[in-house]
Amino acid sequence: MASEAYELLALLMRYVFVLIGALVLLRAFRWMRRDAKNYRREMRALPDAGLVGQIVDLRNGKSQPLPREGDMGSSHECDIFIKGAGVLRHHARFAFEEGKGVLITPSRHGKTFLAGAELRAPGYALHGTQLQLGEAALRVRLFAGLKVPQPMAYQPDAPLTDAPLPYDTQEEDDASFFGDSFYPGPDIPAPFEFPDQPVTADDSWQQAVSTPQKDYDGHYTDDGQMTWQYAYSMEELYQAQAALNQPPPPIDSEPENDEALPYQSPVARRRRRERR
Amino acid sequence: MKEKEKKKRSRRINPATAMLSAIMTFFFLGFLMLAVKDGSWQSFLLAIVVPVLIFVGTAGIPKLFPADKLLLSLTNFLCALGVLTLYRLSPSRGLSQAVNYGVGVGAMLLCILLVRCIRHWKALTVLMMGGSLLLLALPLIIGAEKNGAKSWINLGPVSMQPSEMVKLALMLSVSYLLSRRKIVLSILFTGACLLLLMVQKDLGTALLYYGVALILIFVATGSKMLLGAGLLGGAGAAVIGYQMFAHVKKRVAIWIDPWQDASGAGYQIVQSLIAIVNGGLWGVGLGLGNASVIPEYYNDFIFSVILHEFGIVFGLIVLCMYVFIIIRGVMIARRSRTVFHALLATACASLIALQTFVIIGGNIKLIPLTGVTLPFISYGGTSMVSSLCVIGLLQGVASVNEAGVKEDRSLAMQGGNMP
Repeated sequence: MASEAYELLALLMRYVFVLIGALVLLRAFRWMRRDAKNYRREMRALPDAGLVGQIVDLRNGKSQPLPREGDMGSSHECDIFIKGAGVLRHHARFAFEEGKGVLITPSRHGKTFLAGAELRAPGYALHGTQLQLGEAALRVRLFAGLKVPQPMAYQPDAPLTDAPLPYDTQEEDDASFFGDSFYPGPDIPAPFEFPDQPVTADDSWQQAVSTPQKDYDGHYTDDGQMTWQYAYSMEELYQAQAALNQPPPPIDSEPENDEALPYQSPVARRRRRERR
Repeated sequence: MKEKEKKKRSRRINPATAMLSAIMTFFFLGFLMLAVKDGSWQSFLLAIVVPVLIFVGTAGIPKLFPADKLLLSLTNFLCALGVLTLYRLSPSRGLSQAVNYGVGVGAMLLCILLVRCIRHWKALTVLMMGGSLLLLALPLIIGAEKNGAKSWINLGPVSMQPSEMVKLALMLSVSYLLSRRKIVLSILFTGACLLLLMVQKDLGTALLYYGVALILIFVATGSKMLLGAGLLGGAGAAVIGYQMFAHVKKRVAIWIDPWQDASGAGYQIVQSLIAIVNGGLWGVGLGLGNASVIPEYYNDFIFSVILHEFGIVFGLIVLCMYVFIIIRGVMIARRSRTVFHALLATACASLIALQTFVIIGGNIKLIPLTGVTLPFISYGGTSMVSSLCVIGLLQGVASVNEAGVKEDRSLAMQGGNMP
């Protein structure tokens, strides 16, 4: 092609290239905006996205969402903020591992107990496992549907030791039609009415029959009320309902069973003694 | 009315398809123009092959590998722009860059798999840290000096810059260490890498390492004290570097006044500025420029070539594309489920941001010129592969995030914490 003609073409094409470039940019911008909008919508529909359960502070009953991994301690930077005697700023690290549970890696300097035993090396917490950081007693609660080993049966008054259970759970398991020791069975009516519950009693029975292991993985709703189809036991269910009618204890109050804790920091112990 | 709305909706083009078709058209026209100018069959062939490859790369890869399509589209555009610009000035370099691009795409896929498949990074981090220090020490023993820095090693016909590969290892290692709150170890490792780079006199790469590590430490700890200490340390190192190295003093002097030695030491930057000014807002036109008079036009000054031929307006569009890639990286970091993935995505985004700022700033005389490449566009196999590996790491994190959202969805369906 003659150089003059090419020059003319090249001069004209400068604008075309800028136009196409601007078009690509505009499309990219719209794509990004639409993607962000879709993501926000999806996150609204999945309020528990990125979480695997809750950590319940047994001193005041307050729960905090449990992310997949992070730190717990008394620093406000921590994902799980726990205040209390003997709790370090970064007391322990936790990470959820599929098929295993929540791996708790304790700090070398603090006192950490998992299910009553002092934790020196990383250990796994399952649904219902009691965790103690310094003097703060916590309970790990994991969402239903997570691929983790089945938890042990919950015992409200169990000591923090490996003592044998007060009854033979195997016998109870064998006797139960559904394989769940605390499952009341379809013939037993619901103990009380739950008008505000999203799942009706009948639906829950149906659900439980189709997926009998589901009611093992219990949890509380946001307002602290336990959904009855997820309760571990009837006893726990009654306790949860009774707790609804009682005002929660103040946050900074002394735990009633602090003497039963396996570890108490020397400073806190001295203070308590002085107070008495 | 409803039918009309439905018809309108059906006519509305998917932004992904529209963007891909615009990119393909751009490169079809670009190579066609060069073919018309040269009359060579090679250019005609490229006018067909490059858009087809872009289509396969952008639409095909996400079907086989979980990848972020937007990130892929923007990256492909910039890589193909590099090939087009280089092919226009030096066809052999253009073809060589196309091969580098192909190898880089393979490396990118490997990085996606790496991030997706590896769950336990501890052993790999230890290995990477040791390997990085060894690789950085290698040019000091068997290296060759190039542009004042002894950072290249020649392996027969192939020469490579180990610091480009160590960049990836540094990002992965520091992200892992910081995610495990091993702050001191991460600072020590970065410091050792920086020391080796200072000995090699590769200050441009050292600046990138320092910047990325500082951003990561601040993001991971949120400590303003560490940030302040890092900035002070960086300023101190810059002063020491200025006093110790003659070529640093020379570059700063050129940056302050390149016209005092316009035909000698300042020739490169002066020619670059002249090329940018000649191009003006709309450029001189593809194939009509003479930007090859700029020394290192294919490497350090490729952005000046783009401004010369396509104009400042198009240069701003290219800059916006980098900004979009960085924003996308930050979005991926914010959506991450684990600290390690969030830090890794932050490291990738900050590396691209810093590298782009340092080289474009050097080209337009905003900051002193340092010898780093413009990601995805500059000529060079190691640079192209490492840049695409960074995108691969980002893509890997994005795919892990996507898998996390899927898991959350299934969890919600199975009960989860839903009332």
